[in-house]
Amino acid sequence: MQKTKNALAGVDCPSMTANKVLGRGKQKGLQLLQPEIKPEERKWNGMRMKYIPKRMLSIVVDDAEVDKIVKTIIRVNRTGEIGDGKIFICPLEDAIRVRTGERGEEAI
Amino acid sequence: MKMIRAIIKPEKVEEVVNALEKEGVISLTKLDVFGRGRQKGIQVGSSIYDELPKVMLMIVLEDAKAEKVVDVIEDNARTGNIGDGKIFVSAVDEAYTIRTGEKGL
Repeated sequence: MQKTKNALAGVDCPSMTANKVLGRGKQKGLQLLQPEIKPEERKWNGMRMKYIPKRMLSIVVDDAEVDKIVKTIIRVNRTGEIGDGKIFICPLEDAIRVRTGERGEEAI
Repeated sequence: MKMIRAIIKPEKVEEVVNALEKEGVISLTKLDVFGRGRQKGIQVGSSIYDELPKVMLMIVLEDAKAEKVVDVIEDNARTGNIGDGKIFVSAVDEAYTIRTGEKGL
């Protein structure tokens, strides 16, 4: 998390919102497998972690900067292991700075 | 791709998640949220509760699956009472897997 923050500040994009979330991916969370059981008989033995705690970062930027930020996040957060996470990119219609009422790109 | 954000009753979460699992939708993110709806919260006696605890489920999937998943959430989160929650569907342009750096779900 700290590394990601530093890296994002390094590419001129320090603003973000962070949430503590729970989630799971294709692997259905973590399962403690019993190695002595044959793979086809493996089931979670009650000791299953259904959700894994993660951080969700929301970052709003100009279209042109998206690529740079995605690359930065991937570079810093990649361990090559399952559970590294996902990045989703969604369109945003408008942004407003509450303090001044500015709209659109000026507000970012 | 579509992002489905479903804000539902906390006690219905496991039911919904299990139903989604049966539909093959395993990946999801859940977060605790507080909110109110059109009724401005609930009033018990003289005290008003307008920050009701809910759970938000966030799911990103292909366009074709979105409708089905919305139906599943709807069916399983419904109690018929006020406060069952809302489901929002929005567009997602791109997705990346951090482990591989690849594009796509």
